[in-house]
Amino acid sequence: MKRLLVGAMALALGTLPGTAQSLDDLNIQIHGYAIQGFLYTTQNNIFYANSTDGSPEWTEAVLNLTAQPAPKLRVGVQARYSLLGNTGNAIVLDWAAADYKVNDRFGVRFGKVKTPWGLFNETQDIDPSYMWALLPQSIYDITTRNADLAHFGGVAYGTVKLSPAIGKVEYRGWGGEAVIPTNDGQFADLIAAGNGPLNPMTYVIYGGALHWITPITGLMIGASDSKANKASVALTGSASESFAPWNNLSYFGKYEKNKLMVAAEWNRQVSPGTLVLNGQSSSVSSDPRAWYAMATYKVTDKLTAGTYDSQVIDHQVSFGPDRYSKDWTISGRYDLSQYIYLKAEQHFIQGTALSFEDANNTVLLPTSRLTVLKVGVSF
Amino acid sequence: MKKLIYAFLIVATIAIFGQRAQAQVIVIANPGVKSADVSKSDLRDVFTGVATSLKDGSHVTPVLLKSGATHDEFLRTYVGKNDTTLRAGWRSLVFSGQASMPKSLDSETAVVDYVAHTAGAIGYLSKATPHEGVKVLGVR
Repeated sequence: MKRLLVGAMALALGTLPGTAQSLDDLNIQIHGYAIQGFLYTTQNNIFYANSTDGSPEWTEAVLNLTAQPAPKLRVGVQARYSLLGNTGNAIVLDWAAADYKVNDRFGVRFGKVKTPWGLFNETQDIDPSYMWALLPQSIYDITTRNADLAHFGGVAYGTVKLSPAIGKVEYRGWGGEAVIPTNDGQFADLIAAGNGPLNPMTYVIYGGALHWITPITGLMIGASDSKANKASVALTGSASESFAPWNNLSYFGKYEKNKLMVAAEWNRQVSPGTLVLNGQSSSVSSDPRAWYAMATYKVTDKLTAGTYDSQVIDHQVSFGPDRYSKDWTISGRYDLSQYIYLKAEQHFIQGTALSFEDANNTVLLPTSRLTVLKVGVSF
Repeated sequence: MKKLIYAFLIVATIAIFGQRAQAQVIVIANPGVKSADVSKSDLRDVFTGVATSLKDGSHVTPVLLKSGATHDEFLRTYVGKNDTTLRAGWRSLVFSGQASMPKSLDSETAVVDYVAHTAGAIGYLSKATPHEGVKVLGVR
């Protein structure tokens, strides 16, 4: 009931574009967006929802408040209500930060800040900003994204202009503490087994990213590497889970020309882990190597269509459907106005390495189709 | 043959007047902005939120028109995006904490007034719109 009320309020607010206010004197802006999704799958339930019956259990609402007291200084805060299947259903702090931009060459942001690895991580939870209903799950897994989205600490950023023949380089460097909340999707199977975490898992992270804006108009090539120190968490039932230091490496590129956009990314996250249950140790290590290639085309001013192929293979998992996930997707987005849009997407999925949790399925079958419909409003 | 000539003349006329229409959009800035001109790539960077200064170091803040032919023409000619794509890009910056949304004004008169009275403001309008109190920037 609570989620329905929050979702309805957010959608109602979003349909009143007049509520988007820029309070001139204080340089204050209020923005927000809300989405309501519908999931239908054949074979397996996905995202902790009863999707084989058709499920509306995907709601998000975001409220953003920023102020710019001086030309180089911005402060802001963003809160989010989210529900996906039986996870979430809570209001959380997306980010809260102060940003001081000395010039285009150097700026710094600190507080709870978005972590800018990969091509989409900074914006992977910002539905109005891209055409897909779901970003490629091989790298941007929606069920475990909380740990990746933001950290407490800072980001230094800037753009260095090189010669016209070479282009320019955008850089990001970050560091701080990441926190995985106790109700995160990463712990779903442990929670279902009665071994949920007693506290949030915290660990130190740091990393950097470079985006080379090449002299070829529209072409960007980049790389990022994010490292995490060792981490552990106590679990219910005198159990524990621990991870040795791990890292998250990405190479990516994007090309935009007129109505066409193509992009690709390769990612590897080596994560050596151990689970101790009833005095018995077992490996929870993973070594997923993932990639996707995508293309979108603006058919008209309001209609965009696209497709992607997204694949991941976990080299720590023995051979079988649980070792991989291959997802071929076709998608479309229609913008009814500046404020309201519709998305429709069809996924053809092979393998069960992602998104299909044991706790939410009696038997997992190796192939499944997913249909996503979504309506969104933003102001 | 006659039909071909007519068709050629029609296409040529559209092309010529199309180019003239492009030239009708001008870029304006607050008189405090030092630059006398701006490159097309700098203009694109400023209006997509990638940059907040011009080559001479002047800090600038873009201001948009909400809609209309001048707005569409400016985006097509200098930014290379349509309105939907431009605003989606700004939303990703706003909701990820990287920028504030640029002001969107209802009329070209309002743009002139805002740019004239706001330090660092940069906008665009039709050449035919009176624009006293602002500086016209050449586009390289």
